Order: sequence, then structure tokens, then C-alpha cells
Amino acid sequence: MVATERRPNTPHEFHFWTALASPVGIGTIVRVDGRPVDGLIPHIYGIVVEGFSYTDLMSPLHDVIGHDGTPESAGHAPTDRAEIRLYTAAVLRQIPDEPLQPVPMGQVFLATEDDVAVALRMDGYLREGNRTGIPIGVYRAGGTDSAIYLDADFLVGPEAAHLNITGVSGLATKTSAVEWMLSSIFAHFPAGKGSVAAVCFNVKGPDLCFLDQAGTLDDRDRELYEKLGVPAAPFANVHYYAPYNAKGFSLNTLRSNEALLHNVTPLTWGLREVMRFAEVLLNKDDVDAKADALIDFIAERVLDKDFSDERLGPTRYRVQSFADLDKWFRDVLRAMEAADDQSWRTHHVATIRKVRNRLSNISTRCAGLVTDDGTVSDLPFGNFEDRAVYVVDVANLEEDAQDLIFARVVSKLREHLERRDLGVKHVIVFVDELNKYAPSDGQDTYVRKMLLDIAERGRYLGLVLFSAQQFRSQVHRRVVGNSGTALYGRMDADELATPGYLVLSPATKTKLATLEKGQLMVRHPHFTQPIFVRFPRPAVMLGRDGAERFPQAAEVTLEHAVVRSLRQLDPGITLGWVKDVIAIATEEEVIRARNATLHTRPDDVKTFFASQFRRIVAPRQPARASTPPLRTTPADDPYGF
Amino acid sequence: MADARFRDAQRLFQHDAAALRDLGPTLETTVTPPEPPRVVQSDVIESTTVRAHRIVDPPSVGFDAFLDGAQESKVIHYADGVPIVFGRIAAVVRQRVLRRMVTWKRPLCRSRLYVPRDLVPPTLWMRAVDAGFELVDTSDRRTDAGWTADDPHPFVLAQRALDAVKRDREAAERQLAEEWCATQQDRLFIDGSIATSDRVAAAPNAIGIIKSHRTLYVAGAAMRVVQSLPVNHRSSVIRVEAYHRTSVASWYLRIRDSVGQDPMWGLLRVETALPDIAASPQAIADHATVISRWILAELMPLSLPDSRWDKMVYGIRDCEEFLRSLRA
Repeated sequence: MVATERRPNTPHEFHFWTALASPVGIGTIVRVDGRPVDGLIPHIYGIVVEGFSYTDLMSPLHDVIGHDGTPESAGHAPTDRAEIRLYTAAVLRQIPDEPLQPVPMGQVFLATEDDVAVALRMDGYLREGNRTGIPIGVYRAGGTDSAIYLDADFLVGPEAAHLNITGVSGLATKTSAVEWMLSSIFAHFPAGKGSVAAVCFNVKGPDLCFLDQAGTLDDRDRELYEKLGVPAAPFANVHYYAPYNAKGFSLNTLRSNEALLHNVTPLTWGLREVMRFAEVLLNKDDVDAKADALIDFIAERVLDKDFSDERLGPTRYRVQSFADLDKWFRDVLRAMEAADDQSWRTHHVATIRKVRNRLSNISTRCAGLVTDDGTVSDLPFGNFEDRAVYVVDVANLEEDAQDLIFARVVSKLREHLERRDLGVKHVIVFVDELNKYAPSDGQDTYVRKMLLDIAERGRYLGLVLFSAQQFRSQVHRRVVGNSGTALYGRMDADELATPGYLVLSPATKTKLATLEKGQLMVRHPHFTQPIFVRFPRPAVMLGRDGAERFPQAAEVTLEHAVVRSLRQLDPGITLGWVKDVIAIATEEEVIRARNATLHTRPDDVKTFFASQFRRIVAPRQPARASTPPLRTTPADDPYGF
Repeated sequence: MADARFRDAQRLFQHDAAALRDLGPTLETTVTPPEPPRVVQSDVIESTTVRAHRIVDPPSVGFDAFLDGAQESKVIHYADGVPIVFGRIAAVVRQRVLRRMVTWKRPLCRSRLYVPRDLVPPTLWMRAVDAGFELVDTSDRRTDAGWTADDPHPFVLAQRALDAVKRDREAAERQLAEEWCATQQDRLFIDGSIATSDRVAAAPNAIGIIKSHRTLYVAGAAMRVVQSLPVNHRSSVIRVEAYHRTSVASWYLRIRDSVGQDPMWGLLRVETALPDIAASPQAIADHATVISRWILAELMPLSLPDSRWDKMVYGIRDCEEFLRSLRA
């Protein structure tokens, strides 16, 4: 160790030099053994955060003079200048903890596996009988290969919670890290803490579409899996949810290959499901106080209620679908026009027209997700399974539909967790592209408010947010700030120049800017300094590999789409049978029948599906009406013929 | 000069009102050098007259190790006007391994108190001995001494202490050089004369390099030849003889262009063992040229910011830096 007046040791950092060939580098954990005090050797653990190298050359000009201005002659010098490798280490832990003093002079050693556990305070949560460690990767430096664990109490709650990961796109870091972390959590989540499931929003491409398919691992990956005690296998229990495309024929997902449809469930909602979240789809200009009041009125008094109004005549309305709602609006406006009124129940006609316009438009804007007829196919709220992954594929949807899905799913999770009837005790919600949903600037949206709420209060409920984005600086501070654990993949230099990274040393930033695939920097409440770890490739098929191996189904006809859907319930369904059944039905009727069948999942699929159509009456030849005979001509009619 | 032994020495006298608080610069920088400039006539053994010989072939690396010593002396106390000097000497051989310098064996380090025993109270001497200090008596009992016990001049006393420290330093250097020559075949670059040791002066692998020229071993026309040596030129080989010293072969070598500088700029004097009596002048010349090429190879890297960089090779600067780190 070295300490000078200009570069002193402090309680939070110290300096040491090494041999030129030493394996010490940025991120290496070291142990300092101080001189014994009262018979005890103080141990100080630190992580290298900065490195310096210089020679005894006072001025570069001296070298120029020394080599007569010819750089090539520099290699001819018989002696290399005295050179130093000087490192600065940030203190991870001092033992004893008190009194906290500047790091004493002592000998510096590379940390062993046990040292790493102590340095990172992992010894506190890796005790037998009270083990809450979740492996995140391996610290590998200076010949030490040490498993690094996060504390489940601080990752999933209740002490702290949430995980945020940042990194540039295209290096398979963010998604891979989350997939790996989920595997690790499922393998190591302490039994005493209850059950856990994950809800992942697939927001781009096929990233999360093949979580149940085995990926390619090499020996190094398998070694890491073995060392960290995580099965090198894809997720055993994965459920996919995706809305239909706009036509409603097939599911709007990249996981549309027939071989993979067995665990893909349509995601369709009706008016009832959407109404509560109308705010998500309506911007600030739309929802003024007046419109808000009318929407509340509809939600409270009209939707799913028997509604009548003397001005609407004797009709009793029961609005359960967008079609019902549109009819209700039409009648209300017609009645106002007939009476030449400007308002109805204090709501101005212009407000009513505006709200009608906006609400009716939802089924168009979210076609495939929101159905006019109110058919509902949803996540199994209340029946979530332990260690299951529920993937909601919103990658191909419009932004409005994505927001709606996100808002409703998360709200439902929250409601069920509050009531403790979700089926699992903890849910991890993974959201990629967080800078889109919770941006640091721009107007306050419903989704952002919801994310803030999860980030700040979710841990008490067991609702845990795993989020990812390319630029952490562009995400709302309270969302990332409440993430107890933060992971950083390779970073963009511009991003590293933002104020959020001021706490990192220049060397650490350089390392972050050059991280390899499979490397992460980890910040965790127990770690007083960021730690660099390696993690294995996830044991699931990569999105692009899956897209090649299981190509997306081509756009199909309605008949084929129905066959494909119903075959999941009854493999005996044939195209010919479907054609016969739907021969005279309209497209709308066929889709409704299919959706109802898939939702009900009857034992007898054929009968149920066929029963959804209007009964076909056999054609009958109408009986010929008997015409009364013309009066006969009297025999004595002189004009008769 | 701030190591533990020095502080111990300071503590030894700190209770005394005469203890020095501000110790000032070292004696090496304040006491006048004892050696007056002089010129000595020497025999030429390469030919008959001293001439300039150009080193035609390019430099080549020949040295494997470098030896240098250092000393530092300070008055830490005046006992009734008698200076008590704390002196520290060290010497080291730095060996070049794969272009990097490493320490050969252990450096020799020693710190002592230099005290004229006759002039200080016996209790002071005993106190220092009891405190574990090694003491050197700098009393001069020679009849031709320039002072007596009755009227010592403090500067003279300090000078004597400084001389004693120097002798200790030279002894340490000599010891290391002799150990090297006795055990190693590789060539050793010694900062200073090799003539202080018979064994080293006779060793074929010890080369002494002298940077100071207070004594010039050429006179008359030979001196003018030496002073006007162009860069990459050496003088003819001469025999250097001195009182109490072993005779050695020697020549001057200009390693840097002195145009616009003083005549001693970039000028070294090289010492090696005297050649065989049977050696031909050509063999002597070849030997001197080869060694000169070795020395010229050591010009890189530059020894700046040392003020003697024109004459100092990097290997010696490395020794000095090493020794400096020992007393830091």
C-alpha cells in the first residue's frame, strides 16, 4: 500500500501498487491485512476503481530528446524506464466496522472466494437456515471464481425491491440478463418466502417468444450454471398471451407457428375490462373535467347495469359491449335532438358527442384486443402458478393498445395481490423499453403514474418491477431510484457522460463502455460499491433463433385460422368440418364463435362451436295455396262460353 | 532523511536545549568539497600520444548490472559546539533482466552517528551507545591535524564527519563490487572508480565510469585533445595511477555533443583493468572501443531530470532512485 499527503488513504479508499504482471485490474476485489491492533488483524476489503501507470519520465519532451526525435529508436533502449501500476480501491467493508478510520497501511492480497463473500456482506444472507441468496453471476478476477448472490429480501422485497438494467441494444445483455435472473430466482427463491411468478411484456421482436425452448449453451455456460446451482434448462411453465390481429383471424404474435400454439392464449377484452382504463387511451385534451364526469357516469350507472331514462323512452338498456354502448349513445343523442335539448343529465351534448367519439374509437384503435361484442380472454388472475412465466406479447401492437394492456394487467395484478388472491405471493413484472413507459420528461401519463406507484409501493405487495432500458438517464428518476438492484451492461459513452454516472470513476466508466457480452456491473443494497460479474447465456432459445426455427405462420384464411385455433382443444378438427359449419355464417359470427369456444374450452369442441351459430332451418317448399275455383258459369247464361 | 533511525537519533537529543529543530540541508550540499582541481600526467598505453578515436560501430548493449552508492549526513545536535552528525550510506547493484531493473542481492544500508569522542562528554557517547547507535569516532589523533582538542572549528569537525561517511559509502560500494566480481561473470557498470579495490580493479567484468573531473589524468596537448573530443569519440587509453590505489587502464569518452556547452559536458572517464602486458596496442584499442560502444548504448533512456543527465546513464539513475526510495 502507498499513502502520501497528496494521495492519502481515507475511510472510503486506499491506494496500492502491484507488479507489472499482476492480475489486478479495474473491478478486482482485494483484501488489506493491517497491522495487528490488540491482537486482532484488521481486514479491509476494497474493489479497484481506478488505475494509474507512469514511469519516471518527467516530461514527454525528455523522451523526444533522449531518442533524438526518432520514435523508432525508442525500442532500442536497453532499459525500460521504471514503471508503476498504481491502483485506487474503494472500500467495500472494514472489519472491525468500528471505529471507522482511514485504511491503515498493510499488505494487499487478491480476495479469495471467502473474502468476496465477506467483502460484499453476502455472509449475512448465505447462512445455512437463513439463506436468501439469489445467484446473479460469478466474480472472476485475479484467479478467483466466486459466486455472487443478491439478497432475495432486497430483490423481491420486502426490505427493498425491483431491478433495473441498462445497456446498449444489440449486445444480448438486457433481455438475456433478465431471463437468467428469472431462472435464478425460480431456482433459488427461498421456500419460506412463498411462491413467485413472472409477467413479462414482450415489447419488441421475438425477444421473449421462446422461453420454453432450449437454447444453445457452451461448456463455459454450463460450468457457470453448475457453479451457481441453476438448472441449465428453459422455463418449464410458460404461458403466452397475445391479442388477435386487426382482422381477428390469427394471433398478433411472432409465436404463431402452429407447433408452439399449445400455450398461446388469445388476449381479448370487452368494454367492461377497458372502461376503467379509458384514461390510458385518452389524452389530456380529451379528458377534461366534463368528459371525465360523463365517463364516470357511464362506468358507474350504465355499464353492466339496467339503465333506463324517461327521455329515452321505455327501453331498458344493459350495456355490456362496445356495440351496446354505441347504441346507447345513439339513443341518447337522438332523444336530445328530438327534444331540442343541449344537455342531458347535466352533460352537454358536445361532451356526449366527444366522449362517444373517443370511446367508440377504442375498439378500432385496439382492434384485435378490444372486441365489440365483449368477449373476454384474459390472464388467469387468481390462478397464477408458482414459478410460471406469463408472457404478454404486445410487440406488434399500436402504442395505445400496448399502454392499455400494460395498465390493465398491472392494475389487476396489484388488485389481486392486495387481496392476496392472485395465486402467488410475489409477481415479477418485466418491462423493457422503460424510457418509453416512464420517461423522465414529457407529460404525466397513466402508465407512468402506475410504474411510479409500483416502484414506490410495490414491494409491500409483492409486486416487483424488473425494468430495462437503453438509457437510464431518460427514465423517471423515482422509478430507477427505487430499484434496489441495478444492473449495467455495456454503456454508451454519451450516456455515461450524464450526471447519473458521476459517482463512477473514469476507469469504471471505461470498463462499462467496453463490457463484453455476458458481463454486468451490479449495484445492490448490500454492496457498497458496484461489482462486475459474468453470467451465463440464458438456457432459452434466443428470439432470433426461435424466429428462424419456428417461422411465423403466414397470413391465413378465416377457415384455416379457426382450424388452427380449435385444434389446440380438439386435434380432430378438420378444415372440411369447419368449412361446413361456418359456410353461411358471417365473418363476425365465426370469430365470435371461435373466441367463445376458446374461452370456454368445452369438452366437446365441435358441438360447442357449432352451437354458436344460428340454427340452420332446412329449406321447405312452401305449400301451394289452394285458390278457390272460379264461380262456374250458369248453364243458362246466355253470354257464357 | 526521515526514516525511523533518524528520528530515533533526533529523540536522543530532543531533551537538550541545544537540539536542532531546523536541521537544514545536508552536509553534502553545504560543506566545501575537499578535493581541489588538479591535473595528473599519465602514461599512454594504447599508443604514444593521446588522440581522439571515433567510435565507428553502432552502440551495443554490454552491461548487465549497475552499481552505485549514496550518502547523506546531517548535524543533528551540537554538544558544546561540537557537531554530532547522523550519517547514512547505502549501495546497491541493480541488475537488468529483460530490460527491467531488479535489485541484485540486498542493498547495503547503514546509519551511524559520527562523533569526535575526545571532544564530547563521555555520558553523551555512552547514551548514544546505550540507545543502540553505532558510533564512529571522528577524533583526529594525527599530529598533522589542523586542529586540536582545545580549539576545534565546527566546520572542520563537520568536514571530518563527512569524510568518514564518504569512506563508509565507498566501503559499501567496494564490498558489493567485490561480491559481484567474485561470483558473477556478467559485466558491471560501476559509478565511480574501480581503483579503490585491488580485486575489482583487476576484474575483467567491472567497468568504472567517472563523471566528475576534478582530477584530470591528461595534461598539456593531451588535455586539449580530451577537452575537444567530439561526440562518439574516445581518447587513447592511458594508465591511471594514484596513491593508495590500484593502477587501471582509463580513457575519456564524449557521449553527448558539447557544442555550446562547457568542455566537460557529456565527458566520461572510463576505468577498466589494465590489459595484459602482452596485449598489443590494437587489442587495447579494440577493448576500449567495445566498452565505449556499451556505454553509448546506455544513453537511452535519458536521465533527466537529474542535473547530471549529460553524463549519467539511466542504469545509474535507477540505482539512485532506488537508494532514494530506501531513505524516503
